[in-house]
Amino acid sequence: MKRSLTAVLGATAAISLVLTGCSGADDEGSAGGPQTLTLAGWSFATTPEFKTLADGFHAAHPDVTVELKEYDAANYDTQMVADLAAGKAPDIYAQKTLKNFYTYQNGKQLVDVSDVASGLAKTVGGIDSYQADGKTWAVPYRQDSWVLFYNKTLFDKAGVKLPDGSWTWDDYAATAKELTAKLNGPKGDYEHIWQSTVQGFALAQTPGAAIESGDFGYLKPYYSRVLDLQNAGAQVKFGDATTNNLTYQSQFGKQSAAMMLMGSWYIATLRKQQGSGEADKFDWGFAPAPQLDKSTTGTSATPVTFGDPTGLGINPKINKGKLASAKAFLAYAAGVDGAKALAGIGITPADTEAVRDTFFKLDGVPQDDLSKFAFTKHETKPENPVSKHTAALQNVLSDTHTAIMSGSKDVGAAITEAQNRAKNEVLNK
Amino acid sequence: MTSMPLARRRRGRQVWRDTAVGWSFLLPNFAGFALLTLVPVALLFYYAFTSWNVFGGAEWTGLDNVRQMLHDASFRTALRNTLYYTVFHIPLTLVAALALALLLNRRLRGVAFFRTVAFFPYITSIVALAQVWNMLFSPGYGPINAALRGLGVDHPPGWTTSADWSMPAVIVVGTWREMGYYMLLFLAGLQTIPGQLYEAAKVDGANAWQRLRAVTIPGLRPTTFFVVVMLTIGSFKVFDLILVMTNGGPGQSTLVLSQYIYQKGFVENQFGYASTVSIALFLICFGVTAAQFLINRRGSDS
Amino acid sequence: MTLRHAPPVERVSLEPLPRRRRSGYRFLGYAALVLAAAAVLLPFYWMAMSSLKANNDVYTIPVRWLPDPVVWRNYLDIWQKSDLTTWLKNTLILSVVVTFLQVLTGSFAAYGFAKVRFPGRTALFLAYIGTLAVPWQSYMIPQFILFSKLHLSDTLWAIVALQAFGAFGVFLMKQYYESIPDELLDAARIDGMSEYGIWRRIMLPLSVPALASLTLLTLVSTWNDYMGPLIYLRSRDLWTIQIGLKTFVNTYNAEYALIMTGSVLSVLPIAIIFLLGQRYFVEGIASTGLKG
Repeated sequence: MKRSLTAVLGATAAISLVLTGCSGADDEGSAGGPQTLTLAGWSFATTPEFKTLADGFHAAHPDVTVELKEYDAANYDTQMVADLAAGKAPDIYAQKTLKNFYTYQNGKQLVDVSDVASGLAKTVGGIDSYQADGKTWAVPYRQDSWVLFYNKTLFDKAGVKLPDGSWTWDDYAATAKELTAKLNGPKGDYEHIWQSTVQGFALAQTPGAAIESGDFGYLKPYYSRVLDLQNAGAQVKFGDATTNNLTYQSQFGKQSAAMMLMGSWYIATLRKQQGSGEADKFDWGFAPAPQLDKSTTGTSATPVTFGDPTGLGINPKINKGKLASAKAFLAYAAGVDGAKALAGIGITPADTEAVRDTFFKLDGVPQDDLSKFAFTKHETKPENPVSKHTAALQNVLSDTHTAIMSGSKDVGAAITEAQNRAKNEVLNK
Repeated sequence: MTSMPLARRRRGRQVWRDTAVGWSFLLPNFAGFALLTLVPVALLFYYAFTSWNVFGGAEWTGLDNVRQMLHDASFRTALRNTLYYTVFHIPLTLVAALALALLLNRRLRGVAFFRTVAFFPYITSIVALAQVWNMLFSPGYGPINAALRGLGVDHPPGWTTSADWSMPAVIVVGTWREMGYYMLLFLAGLQTIPGQLYEAAKVDGANAWQRLRAVTIPGLRPTTFFVVVMLTIGSFKVFDLILVMTNGGPGQSTLVLSQYIYQKGFVENQFGYASTVSIALFLICFGVTAAQFLINRRGSDS
Repeated sequence: MTLRHAPPVERVSLEPLPRRRRSGYRFLGYAALVLAAAAVLLPFYWMAMSSLKANNDVYTIPVRWLPDPVVWRNYLDIWQKSDLTTWLKNTLILSVVVTFLQVLTGSFAAYGFAKVRFPGRTALFLAYIGTLAVPWQSYMIPQFILFSKLHLSDTLWAIVALQAFGAFGVFLMKQYYESIPDELLDAARIDGMSEYGIWRRIMLPLSVPALASLTLLTLVSTWNDYMGPLIYLRSRDLWTIQIGLKTFVNTYNAEYALIMTGSVLSVLPIAIIFLLGQRYFVEGIASTGLKG
């Protein structure tokens, strides 16, 4: 058995060698003349950011053309992993989720771009997430943060006071119940089925909470509150939302709920859906997410919320002569010019301070001061702090989420089980 | 004195000739199969003992992965769930498929239509069917629980949103989806049974049930064997159905091995460990299949 | 060798009953069948109705079984928003090529396994079956690297290579061939027919129902394959219907109605092919052929 296996391995290696021999590099040469960079992105028809960045960069650097390579949005990482493994991935590729950054960084599939990062403004959010071993491996070009969306029309109809930035979670829960009672039909809030809607906030706001600690006690108050809202009928039950495949776009856009916590990407979606008629026409705004306690509420404090940046990294297999151009592209995308271009199409760039005016000039974006405050002022902590164990621990916590929310396990038992699994299967492995 | 070696030589030549002929039949398929499937599968047996991450780093770690697997509670949960699914899914599908095939092997009016209907679940987009079944199972608003409440069940199960009932729900949908597929194989098998055998059994005074037992079932033996093996392998490897129906939840109540392998590999980038779990799944699956082969061979010899 | 029609099976399996009782039973039986058919088709019905709904009306509490308003435009929109024609063309090419190769090489190899005795036959066959028991996602990456080295990835040939030489067809045909008596072949051998001639002139005609089911099942699995095209077909002009539709889903991830429209359109061709192909299961070619 062993001998035949060795033979097989040997044969494969031989075949590979012969075949790689005839597939020579055909990249065009050194710096100087016109160059083409390839950039991986996804869903170009509905994600215009890649084209915006490519065109904007080309306008500033006429001899560099950025060619887009489209990947599937839902399977981006599967496809990218396969392409990198086979050595045929594009020069620059997006870090779609922070959870998988470790895979690429640890697998030596990213070029050190510390020099690019050090040239960026302090207001660019999310750079820290891409640091490891004292170096920076990717730069963020967009950074969404979670905020509280609310339907002014429904609030007025119920005669309930609008959010004013001073809310803790208890205020939020009380308002959700009040709205439900007074609206007779629409629910007070909609909680989407993702684990982040509970765990993201709990992790970001609880002092000392860390996924890697393997101690998940910080989740408990957050889950108790959500279960209470669910049992009080102030939000759709988790089981009904999953089995009926409810979408947050239609729950909020069709006015089935008066409030919803969601990432800032939804601003652009809602604006577009109201324009096309897919969502009802109503007045809305967004406020900072509710806080753990009064110390971070009010417009003179900085509210704490969560959100993962989306970054760009460089493939180490890039032709040496193109590396400088690729770095210039990263600097552009994460810098002020890139941020302005992105804000112009309704996307939340990593540097929100720089683009406030551009962003709020867009049609259909709420104009009130609280929305502007929520957009620019926040301490956004990563949902998936980068570490060796994040992906595995998030898998464990995802099971915890479905077990608690479906009512299969009570909060305490589910958290204990998660801690045991984290310890035995991930941390002490 | 010279006849013995001659006979042996002749027999030897015959064996050699048969081997050449046999291989010539296999070659067109085998060449493609060996290069494109067998080689990557063989590599898996090597990776299972390494810390392979997808970008090439594969350090030999000996039995570390195996040791990790034996102490992995999630692996045991996935294995238990996979067995749960398999043990119920195989007999249910087998019986449903056979019944359908027998029913639709007649000269009925509109038989073409009914056969197509039975095959429909298999060709309907799995996303759409998961969707509809989930809605039917919806604990608060679904028609199934509405009916149960109508029948006086006060607390109908939560189906796909309950840790106890999610697996039964998935089994029902799995059976419903695949019965048409295996029906097709049984239909093909039924055509091999000579009509004369039925005539003869009838002359002997056998009733419909006896004819089924004495003629149909034995006549379907090779087909049944094929169906059972494919069902076994399919059940052990069940993946996309679970993914779209429950995604392994709630909690880990429907986590199965294939999904666990995918998670460990593509989500957590522990391809070495994922390979080890694949080998475990392969061994279990192959063990059961080999046992079926032996039983089948003994059965056909007697 | 002539092929005659089999005696209809139903003639022997129905008990003679008094005419009236019999037609009563028959009516009840049909009613039950129609009901069962309706239940089985329910998801498809929902899919078809959803394909005529407005987007935000697809997923609602409680379920709505009828579209209101009816949005016929979806069927126009999908044609404009997606490259359905290209996808259908590619899928059709692949399905035909893969099915042809799988049926041809599968039945050829099956003859070797079923009717020629040679040493190592069983071991080799178990290796075939064994690979079926390995989940694809675990050897997907090594296979992808191999295919890339062979310059197969991002060509339609990748899918052909992936699907055409599977163990499934070999196993299915082998089982079927084993039910064909050896005496028939021995007679042909005595008549001086070569093994290849026996395969071509006796086995193939006798195994029409098995060939038909292998053809249908291969066709369906190629048609519905998603992961293969996802990994191997990156260029838009190579996309098949499944990868096209799912990418469409992931791109317009809130266009639920259009997604259902696409699903309906992808099922229909298969349903029609099945409707045409299923008649090969009534003619009883195999059972009578033996006497010819």
